[in-house]
Amino acid sequence: MATIDDVGLSMYREMVRGQAAEQWILRLIDGGEALVLYHSARGQEGVAVGSIAPLRRSDYMFYVHRGVGQLLAKGIDPVELFGDVLANTAGSTRGLGAGIVHVVDPSVGVLGQSGTVGGTFPLAAGAALSAKYRDSGQVVLCMFGDGTANRGTFHESANAAGAWKLPVVWLCENNGYAVSVPQSASTPVADLATRAAGYGMPGVIVDGQDAIAVYEAVDTAVRRAREGEGPTFIEAKTVRFRGHFEGDPQSYRGDADTAALERDPITLLADRLIEAGLATDASLAALAAEADREMERAVDVARAAPVPDRSRLFEGILA
Amino acid sequence: MRELTFTQAINEALVEEMERDSSVFVMGEDVAAFGGVFGVTKGLHETFGDRRVFDTPLSETLIVGAAVGAAITGLRPVAELQYSDFLGIAMDEMYNKAAKWKFMHGGRLNVPMVVRAPEGAKGGAGAEHSQSPGGLFQSAFGMYVLMPTNPADAKGLLKSAIRDDNPVLFLEHKALYSKRGPVPDGEHLVPIGVAATPRRGDDVTIVAWGNLVPRSLQAADALADEGIDVEVIDPRGIRPLDIDTILASVEKTGRLVLVHEAPGAGGPGAEVAAVVADRMIDVLEAPVLRVTTPDTYFPQSVHLERLMLPGVTEIADAVRKVMR
Ligand SMILES: Cc1ncc(C[n+]2csc(CCOP(=O)(O)OP(=O)(O)O)c2C)c(N)n1
Repeated sequence: MATIDDVGLSMYREMVRGQAAEQWILRLIDGGEALVLYHSARGQEGVAVGSIAPLRRSDYMFYVHRGVGQLLAKGIDPVELFGDVLANTAGSTRGLGAGIVHVVDPSVGVLGQSGTVGGTFPLAAGAALSAKYRDSGQVVLCMFGDGTANRGTFHESANAAGAWKLPVVWLCENNGYAVSVPQSASTPVADLATRAAGYGMPGVIVDGQDAIAVYEAVDTAVRRAREGEGPTFIEAKTVRFRGHFEGDPQSYRGDADTAALERDPITLLADRLIEAGLATDASLAALAAEADREMERAVDVARAAPVPDRSRLFEGILA
Repeated sequence: MRELTFTQAINEALVEEMERDSSVFVMGEDVAAFGGVFGVTKGLHETFGDRRVFDTPLSETLIVGAAVGAAITGLRPVAELQYSDFLGIAMDEMYNKAAKWKFMHGGRLNVPMVVRAPEGAKGGAGAEHSQSPGGLFQSAFGMYVLMPTNPADAKGLLKSAIRDDNPVLFLEHKALYSKRGPVPDGEHLVPIGVAATPRRGDDVTIVAWGNLVPRSLQAADALADEGIDVEVIDPRGIRPLDIDTILASVEKTGRLVLVHEAPGAGGPGAEVAAVVADRMIDVLEAPVLRVTTPDTYFPQSVHLERLMLPGVTEIADAVRKVMR
């Protein structure tokens, strides 16, 4: 099992890349350059980074609407990401304006995101079925929120994945809310991972603010999947620091949340790296500055691209 | 040429495509050892084994969605839904995933999959097992909807569908399964999106879908005795629609009757009527008529079910009406 010595710094680097990308996206929105509805991932970086690090480039990933960090960590080109945010031809969707919602790159295993949340559950089962059929050794990581966990599609997909021992990792990013509805109001269980038992797979609960803990849980699940032992359900308990989307007044948020907002996954990992003697305040600041420069350069390249003309609307509908 | 049943023709298409391409596999409820509730997949499991022919849980959402997931990762799934009515259960997977995944992700992923689904009324299966839902997918622009009406087309169209890089909904009318017809020996492919014209004529154009193609041909035979020369066009599906063949025929005849088992509202004929009215209202010598099932649901009673279905008489009456 890899430890903080092996993956800590690279995960920190991915964290600050994701954060820098998010900050640039927010600037583009504030400046009126990007007309996208943005769902911030602030507070959930531990899950984003800890879950991607154990994957190989060829492994598949279905992400979520809060997925900037995951996408970059999996290998999406930042220029394509910003191109999608700016809805121009530099984007992975060549100007559809998919924001982060439909960024895709099969060459790094990023297979997309469903506009109807939870629509990816059966697709993930199918991709895992395909990996098993082709004996490719690939694993599928399927991410979703606690609200999305209540979709019926999850039941059908988890059941089949369990029955067929498919190489899929179901990763629930439990931030306690589906837009404004708290988990307690929508489901009878406190721990969604307990549902795993019904599908004959391990149900693992992990502290989502601790990137290393997420890494270890996902790594174990990925190894298990690769060895043909089937799926795992991981519930990462995390906190959404900002609103559901930018502009969300968050009037529904209780006092209890305020304490949770203090456990920042980025600072937690930084502290551990420094404690382990792997980094200093200055070296971590340098990583963050480098990430910001990388994203700024990518934004500049993406900004230079034109928006598509009307013909783009009719491309890529059919093969 | 050999005579095969519609069922045998589909089975042969599956066998040939699975032999040709190891990325083709078959999944669905009861499709393995049991051979499918309509017997279409008989023998496949014996020949190709558990890996390539397998039973799924009773999970329509999974069946269609997993086909999408397998298709975008390099396989060519042929999924069976036990009844086409169950498309409603997997509507998100069909309409939003299979049809749109390529487009909404910028065109970078292909979705080469086929969903086979038995449609139509046969033997009192009732309101939830007798539908012809093809019309629901007229606006599924990223997907094909095919409806073979004879064994040769069933085989040739299915083979083309499996080889195509686009998602295909393949609707098989239950009343046609036992029908026999000639099927060419050797490799037989029917191109997607090309209408057939099983009967040529100068007076009236009938465009008919599915099980009502054979009935329309019978009506045309009867009308020939009265001196009415009917052209019958079988679009072989709903998307893509070979509108050029239909327009050329209406240009010639000036009269159009649309015939299908789905209800008029939302059925495939509605779109054709609109396009014809739009493009050649000046050519029409009579109003466009539709012969469809009435605006109600299929009952379980076989007696009442028969009364739902447009027969040769209704089709012939509609033709006589546009001739007046
Ligand atoms: C099927 C479906 N229902 C509802 C929505 C609208 N919607 C988008 S995100 C969301 C909340 C999702 O909550 P959760 O899964 O917990 O993820 P989070 O936003 O908290 O990360 C809702 C209701 C949708 N896109 N798709």
